[in-house]
Amino acid sequence: MGSRGRDMRAARRAAQFAKFRITELNLVPLVDTLVSIVFFALTTATVGELSPVVPGVRLPEAHVGAAALQQLTLGIGPQVTLGGRPIMSTLDAARAPSNDASQPLLIPPLYAAMRVAADSIRRADRIAAGQPLDVPLAIQGDKSMRYDLLARMMQTARLAGFRNLSLQVSKQEGGLDTAAAAPGAR
Amino acid sequence: MASLFHRSKQRRAERAPVTAHGNINLVPLVDTLTSIVFFSLLTYQGETMMALTSFDLSLPPVVVTTPQQASQVKSEQDVLNLLLAVRVSNDELDVEHSGGGGFRQAIKGLDANSLGTLQALMAQIRQQYPQNKDVLVIPSDDVAYDNIIHVLERLRLAGFTGISLGTRARGGPAAATGR
Repeated sequence: MGSRGRDMRAARRAAQFAKFRITELNLVPLVDTLVSIVFFALTTATVGELSPVVPGVRLPEAHVGAAALQQLTLGIGPQVTLGGRPIMSTLDAARAPSNDASQPLLIPPLYAAMRVAADSIRRADRIAAGQPLDVPLAIQGDKSMRYDLLARMMQTARLAGFRNLSLQVSKQEGGLDTAAAAPGAR
Repeated sequence: MASLFHRSKQRRAERAPVTAHGNINLVPLVDTLTSIVFFSLLTYQGETMMALTSFDLSLPPVVVTTPQQASQVKSEQDVLNLLLAVRVSNDELDVEHSGGGGFRQAIKGLDANSLGTLQALMAQIRQQYPQNKDVLVIPSDDVAYDNIIHVLERLRLAGFTGISLGTRARGGPAAATGR
């Protein structure tokens, strides 16, 4: 009798455990998720820091130069854009007269937009008003642009507080004879 | 007590949904990969991103003319001992520097040969004055941006890392800019 009761209790306990027993472990969704995570992690690490090309701009080509990282970008194509936002047409920028007699190269509408961007960076980085910024400003200009327009853009950027400028161009592989290149050339 | 046969049968039954038809079910994996490929193609910018390169500009050198400016110079390394400039126009490249009582050489044209000559000359100057890595480029107003980049490229290949852009004198102050 005692033995039978013990067997019944053991059978009930086994039945209780059987309810929670994992009969299968499907690893397929786990593998799928991990594949996605690895893919996007690698993609982000590879191209996430690189700068995109401003639409509508035909960049000049160069064989050398540093990696073009993602920065606040001034695009000069048919439109002048700052951080992807259109500011004015390039024709209007070239024709815009300066409103400061001591700064004949200044482009007032562009200066206003750049000041807003610079002030925003100063607030975020807790930099005193009027201090020049170390944050670089990338310039992506159309290859047919004349230098006098580029000079006006650069001077306007400098007056707005951007003292570090970089010219981003399209990288061309091979072709140029670099035999005369000096050590340290990138 | 379950026999070995029953236990192995039970294990096979447990694995059956996972290894149905004798294979791992690859359908969800294929679905996920298809989604990844679709959205990757839709948003692909990688090639254009990686195809960019940049030229960082430096501030042009400042000529010290007053005692106040001289007092701001912190060390001897801040003093540039060679003023080197490349003037760029649509038909000529002019290289000038202050070494050896003054140097000036004009290179006709703005084609690949002229740029090659410029690169060789600048590499020679770089070897002659190894402490000087700075050069000021002064293009004419009507020079195309494309040509300016080609000049900057040759200067970089000649070993100059501190490249600054300036403008020719005009009504107002110069628009030299950079770091």
